[in-house]
Amino acid sequence: MAMMLLNANFSTTRRKADSPAQPTNHERTTHFGYETVAEAEKEARVAGVFSNVAASYDTMNDFMSLGIHRLWKDHFVRSINPGSSSSPSSKGWTMLDIAGGTGDIAFRLLDHATNINASPSSTITISDINPSMLSEGRKRSLQTSYANSPRLSFLVANAERLDNIASNSIDLYTVAFGIRNFTNKEKALREAYRVLKPGGVFACLEFSGVTNPLFDAVYKRWSFGAIPLIGQLVAGDRASYQYLVESIDKFPKQEEFRDMIKDAGFLVPGKGWEDLTGGIAAIHKGIKPVEEDL
Amino acid sequence: MIPRSLSPRSISTELRLRQRFYHSYDHPPHPGPFTPTETAILSAAIPHIPSHGFTHTALALGAKDAGFIDASTNLFPSGAFSLVHYHLVAQRLALANHKHILHSAPDQKPLGIRTKTKLLLWERLMGNRKIIHRWQEPTNIPTSIAELTSLSDEIWFLAGDTDVDVNWYTKRTILSSIYGATELYMTTDKSPDYTDTKEFLDRRFRDFTVVGKLAESTFQWVGFTAHAGINVLRSKGIRI
Repeated sequence: MAMMLLNANFSTTRRKADSPAQPTNHERTTHFGYETVAEAEKEARVAGVFSNVAASYDTMNDFMSLGIHRLWKDHFVRSINPGSSSSPSSKGWTMLDIAGGTGDIAFRLLDHATNINASPSSTITISDINPSMLSEGRKRSLQTSYANSPRLSFLVANAERLDNIASNSIDLYTVAFGIRNFTNKEKALREAYRVLKPGGVFACLEFSGVTNPLFDAVYKRWSFGAIPLIGQLVAGDRASYQYLVESIDKFPKQEEFRDMIKDAGFLVPGKGWEDLTGGIAAIHKGIKPVEEDL
Repeated sequence: MIPRSLSPRSISTELRLRQRFYHSYDHPPHPGPFTPTETAILSAAIPHIPSHGFTHTALALGAKDAGFIDASTNLFPSGAFSLVHYHLVAQRLALANHKHILHSAPDQKPLGIRTKTKLLLWERLMGNRKIIHRWQEPTNIPTSIAELTSLSDEIWFLAGDTDVDVNWYTKRTILSSIYGATELYMTTDKSPDYTDTKEFLDRRFRDFTVVGKLAESTFQWVGFTAHAGINVLRSKGIRI
């Protein structure tokens, strides 16, 4: 009990909005959960969070979403239908999974392309800014048939500066539960636009806004009340999970994020997003337009 | 089905509703439910339907032809049904192009409304001839019914029907059912130039003429009987 009180104190100090360490005049700021921090600092802080949670990432996801995250990810991959093609002799899809360290989405994409669409030439690069998450992904890939094959590669990179990836080279760019951690989402969206081929697909699975106000109240109570506590008990790291729930709350909701995607130059299908489980998560998609030759 | 301009709705609902089920001179015609990019891909996909059907493959081929890639099929949340929807909309809008039916030459006697209706219906059916062997049950009932209603209204409107009375609903319902039945018949018709379908359509229209007068008096009869029935129940003490 005493331990929890100590940790409660620890988290309240971090929870004060607009913390006393104000950035200097010319520095731009962003949010880290409910704190306002300098942009340069956010990257390092996020790195800290994810290095800490890497090993227990999936367990924590299971607790936080009551296992539903697996259904979301399955639906996400199915709705993209990777590897599909109009002719059996096509080259397969060139895919890029951003912030995909542990490989959840990447392995699902490869499985779907291989087993459902008979596309053994589809490939994927898993990119993550955090080497610990990537080594977790490498470890897990050993359980699949893709380990040490040309179909799967790993890349340490910042989504805002994908220098190693050529423009107009990617069929599918996915980012699942990653973009809310980026320092500059607009920059990441513009990089996505650059690396995608004309006609290429940007697909994002991310936490979003619950549409029903009553359900929203219950959900917020669960998030802020239970999750940091579970983080403390299961992973021994309350602060990181406090950050996670705060970052979910600060992330732009459905319409706003859809507009950001459109501002980056993408065309959006239908209304631009699909709500999952009442809006707890949402899938946003964008298609890069082709040049008109008139 | 209440005309939308009369029912109380918020602006956002009105914006969400992409189709109007009737023609209105007060409101400009809606540009259609498809964006320019979607239209480009879908129209490029239509020629592939005879060989590939209303499938994801046809859609992907259309995407390729329009300069996109296989992945671009993600632009269509309803997948292959978008092809069905597009076909219905494109064929309906193309009806307005049949000038030889709609505007007769100055020296010819203008065609009657009923004749025009029949001719337009036939033209619409012939618009299906390339794909009818691939036509299956619709997988999205609300959209399909909405399109059928729009088609029926479009045909009556183009034929010059300006009556605004209770028969507005009857006429459209009857035309929808004639069209539905004839289209279904057409899926199994193997006669050259669909002559069997033409005869089927003629028979339906003949029934319609006979039934038309009947419908009006039936409608009255049903109304009177229902009214009488309710009064009987009231007299028994039931509060209605």
